[in-house]
Amino acid sequence: MSHKLVDEHLAGPGEAAPAPAGRQLDIRRVVRRETHSSRAGVSVVAAVLVMGLAGYGLLESAVHAIGQPAWLIEPQLAAERIVALPAGLPPLLLGAGGAVVAMVGLFFLLNAVLPGRRARHVLNGADSTAVVVDDEVIASALARSARLAANVTPEQVMVVVSQRQVIVNVRPTSGIPLAEQAVLAAVEDELREMSLDPLPEVRVNVSSAGVIGA
Amino acid sequence: MTSTPSLLNRILIGILGFKLLAVGILLVLLATVPPVGTWWHTWSGAAWSGLNQAFDSTRFPGRPESWLWIIMAIALVILIGLMVAWIAQQGKGRSNLLVADLDPGTVPGDVRISGGVAEQALKHALAERPDLAGATVATYDVHGTPALKIRLQPRQGVAPHLLAAEVAALVSALDAVVGKPTPVLIHIGAGARTRFSRAERVR
Repeated sequence: MSHKLVDEHLAGPGEAAPAPAGRQLDIRRVVRRETHSSRAGVSVVAAVLVMGLAGYGLLESAVHAIGQPAWLIEPQLAAERIVALPAGLPPLLLGAGGAVVAMVGLFFLLNAVLPGRRARHVLNGADSTAVVVDDEVIASALARSARLAANVTPEQVMVVVSQRQVIVNVRPTSGIPLAEQAVLAAVEDELREMSLDPLPEVRVNVSSAGVIGA
Repeated sequence: MTSTPSLLNRILIGILGFKLLAVGILLVLLATVPPVGTWWHTWSGAAWSGLNQAFDSTRFPGRPESWLWIIMAIALVILIGLMVAWIAQQGKGRSNLLVADLDPGTVPGDVRISGGVAEQALKHALAERPDLAGATVATYDVHGTPALKIRLQPRQGVAPHLLAAEVAALVSALDAVVGKPTPVLIHIGAGARTRFSRAERVR
């Protein structure tokens, strides 16, 4: 019992030692993972697909190895049909099947190649912790400040936040002039306080048609 | 935040996608372009006869079956095992330990603080805020370092930087209690609960 305790003592500091040095690096990696979507789901689908195909192949080859009749199709016969291919099947069916297989392949290939960036931004303001914010939350905060600056109801403001651009659409109340510069300044102030990475550009569109009775 | 092998995932999915795409395009070409059919006959015929020869030369003495079938079955079993191992790597990394360190005092033994301490304390501190529709805290193990992930769901219109600063203050208070700084990721997100709830008007 005491031996075990001593062993854990020796192992403990060794495990904990790299923590302070690796902390900054850890957080940067974690933030990268958090702003890019994970391939875990697609990987599981791919693995299950390969397992299904391999399972069927295993069944047929095991059945063949012990000299029993095949379950669905004799491997010999299947190979001969594949060799003679354009002949054995109607071309429409063959083409459609090929197109489906190609589409599935394209789906997996694009999943592997595309960056898969999520609609999120990194907040630089807090230095001790890493902060990742969904674009939707940023949009609703900006919509609030734009609404207060323009003095309109929430239904008259729509904000779209993308990676490098913020578009603020305002529909003014009919008969009341709207200060576009004030809205722009308010939204830019709010954005500057957030100090996003990457920092988006702001564009304000004031629609020409007003809203009556708001 | 999890230890999902992201590069391995991309490589394996890419290989599978490329193969399926190649097979699909070949099938479409076979169905539509006749010259591809003649090329396919010569190429696959040669490959098939070579394969047949291999099977013929590896027969069990005195029996019609070849032992290549057994090798194929073993290879497929290995492939299935590898796929199971690959699935098992996905989404790992949740842990239950916030601190495991040697106690510098006179009492022998080491100190271990469960992640539940941080999770309960932060959840309790965040539960009464009117500007949050929900908050979850989870402990992860990132390359041997315990780390916390705080997921906040603010109501509509809440400024994320002010919320993040206030939660960061809570985290530093927690660090003081635990006695060791913990890497923290704050994720301020939107979900169905925030989308259909009323806007925050008090702040």
